[in-house]
Amino acid sequence: MKLRCLVVSLCVFGAFSPPVRAEAMIEGRVELPKTKSAPVMTKRYEIVTSGGVLGTNPPLAVVYLEGSFSKPASLPTKQVAQKDLAFLPTLLPVQVGTKVEFPNLEKDTYHNIFSYSPAKRFDLGRYRPDEKPVPSVVFDVAGLVTLRCDIHEHMRGLILVLATPHFVVTDESGRFRLNGLPAGHYTLKAWIDSRTTREHLVDLNSGSTLQVDFP
Amino acid sequence: MLVVAGLTAAGLYVAQRNATGALEQDLQRDFQSALAGLHNVEEIRYAALAERCRALVAKPRLHAALEDNALDLLYPSAKDELRDIMQDEKNPQPDEISGIPQARFYRFLDPAGAVLLPPNPEDVGPLRAEEEQQLTLKILPQAPQIGYLLRGAGTGAETIDEIIALPITSTETNEVIAALVIGFKPLEVAQKRRTEEMKSGIWLNGWLHLPALPESARTIVDQEMTRLLVANQTERSPRIEIDGDPHLLFFKRLNPGSAFPAAYEVSVYPLKSALARQQRLRWQILGAGAVLLLIGFVASHLIAKRLSAPVARLAIDSEENRARRKRVEAALVSKQEELQRSTRFSADASHQLKTPVTVLRAGIEELLRRENLEPGIYDELSSLHHQTYRLTGVIDDLLLLSRLDAGRLKIDFSAVELSKLVEEWLDDLNALPDPLGLDVKAHLPEGLFIAGECRYTSLILQNLLENARKYNRPGGRIHLTAREENGAVYFTVGNNGPAIPAEMQPHIFERFSRGPNGESIAGHGLGLNLASELVRLHGGELKLVSSHDDWTEFEVRFQLADAAAAKSQIT
Repeated sequence: MKLRCLVVSLCVFGAFSPPVRAEAMIEGRVELPKTKSAPVMTKRYEIVTSGGVLGTNPPLAVVYLEGSFSKPASLPTKQVAQKDLAFLPTLLPVQVGTKVEFPNLEKDTYHNIFSYSPAKRFDLGRYRPDEKPVPSVVFDVAGLVTLRCDIHEHMRGLILVLATPHFVVTDESGRFRLNGLPAGHYTLKAWIDSRTTREHLVDLNSGSTLQVDFP
Repeated sequence: MLVVAGLTAAGLYVAQRNATGALEQDLQRDFQSALAGLHNVEEIRYAALAERCRALVAKPRLHAALEDNALDLLYPSAKDELRDIMQDEKNPQPDEISGIPQARFYRFLDPAGAVLLPPNPEDVGPLRAEEEQQLTLKILPQAPQIGYLLRGAGTGAETIDEIIALPITSTETNEVIAALVIGFKPLEVAQKRRTEEMKSGIWLNGWLHLPALPESARTIVDQEMTRLLVANQTERSPRIEIDGDPHLLFFKRLNPGSAFPAAYEVSVYPLKSALARQQRLRWQILGAGAVLLLIGFVASHLIAKRLSAPVARLAIDSEENRARRKRVEAALVSKQEELQRSTRFSADASHQLKTPVTVLRAGIEELLRRENLEPGIYDELSSLHHQTYRLTGVIDDLLLLSRLDAGRLKIDFSAVELSKLVEEWLDDLNALPDPLGLDVKAHLPEGLFIAGECRYTSLILQNLLENARKYNRPGGRIHLTAREENGAVYFTVGNNGPAIPAEMQPHIFERFSRGPNGESIAGHGLGLNLASELVRLHGGELKLVSSHDDWTEFEVRFQLADAAAAKSQIT
């Protein structure tokens, strides 16, 4: 739980950098698909498929600003853990070039995380809990990566590799806020599921806050 | 006999026909049970296989390759996943040892049912292009499908492989997105056959895989199969001629309902030896029948003879009996007539005699009444006169006897007091001159009544007592007793006198029987007979009790008269 809070806070506020110059901000709400089932008490997110479409349950969206941004010298390492035979988080947006670690947090269960997705094919092989070093993959191509476990066929996880440093995961009601955006003409996109990505053209002025809602 | 023979012949014919039918049914059953056994084995095999394959098609890597747009990784992933099930070409393991059937090849079908070509056919079991073509399906199946694949067609070394197509269902869409087709060596059907004569194979798509049959025979079976399947006559087991010999053809679909082309298990059973056996059996049945019939005839003849023997004897016996009876009846009738004639004669004679005797007596009496008779003549006439009385007595006795013989004498029963009868006789006796000086003693209880008619009971007693007097010796005794016992009255008459010889005793009651010294004593030999007959008529019996040592004793049994009747008689 502690870890999840950390990860979510990182996602939401990780884009913050000290305001060296006047930066723009976008606030808004993404109309999320209806929840398939009543949210469970643990509020665990899981990847569900509906007609071949991958998304999370309860639904979450990733909002990101598309454009050409300079690539930073180093990127923070992210983590997708395996706990209770599920990926945690189930949906992780990362910037291209990010190294993601896949720690096995089970008590005594092996995992074999692999992906055949065109954006990144990898196979970590079998590893036990507390495997050192923690198996990791650097995602260097933008795209959606489906995570699977060769041992546990039901496990699914998503990593959305984005060519932008400006992205955020909405909360369950679809609200989001992107801070520290550079001024300019961009396309704001909302990834809702593997088939649905909505777009919004935005003109960002320094110091202004833009309200964008994705219907 | 004809009916029996006809029935037997009919029975033999039916039995023979049944035997023929039973043979075909047996063969059909053999085939079906062998096939059922095969199917059971296959079902177990499929169950193991299906379980195995279900696990296979659920493999995340296969799904990842199919679902995550990584078809290039499909066969490489499958190579790893299906390594266990694939037969090692270099070192093939028999199925029995490995426990699971070993796959010879596998292919994936794309959503359109076409074969996804493997990058490296050596890894997945090489197939020729037309063989690969046979694996395609029009649509992907929802359930495992069984089919058969003809390999090496036209090479002269054709084999048939069994294939199973397993749908791969997307974990994301729940739709069938691909299929895995795995090929196996089919179960050896031929070796499972019980009958060695039966040749079995598989018919697939107009091609018969039955290596045990020569080429020409295969063509015939093939044509027949095609004809039957076109006519949709899949339930029949037709007869076919192969090289002039009749054969039975059995077939059954191996993969009913499959999306793959229909394959049939085909068995050909040569009837030549069976027909020969049947022919032999027919002759055996006929022979046995004939022998049975013969035995039956002989046995029935013997039994009939034995049974009829006593009947014939019975018939003869009864005929003899009848003849005898007739003879006896005739004799009886003649006896009866004779008796009647003699009875009539006696009666007639008595009547005819009585009159002249009476006339004679009257004449003698007339002569005796004359006064001028010389004393000698008088004595003679007196004697003659006495003889006439004797003659009358004889005639009376004869009359009575003839009436008795004719059954015309009826006793008018009443109570007769015995002592009275004896007293009357004693009075008569006292009236007669007694030259012998007899001592008569009577011990008779008073009031002893017997049932009878007075004149006849009197006659009985008179006869007995007269005998006791006549056959006595001078100074002899006569002893009379009477007693009542069990409703009967026993009256005995004993007297002194010469004993009746033992050889005479059985005959003393016969008519005209007289004692040894009878000639010296007046009498005519009718008295005892008459007395005996009358006693019998009174429901009693007269018998000689003893006769020896100067003492002869007779006993008469009378019925005791009804006491009440007797009383009324007295008053």
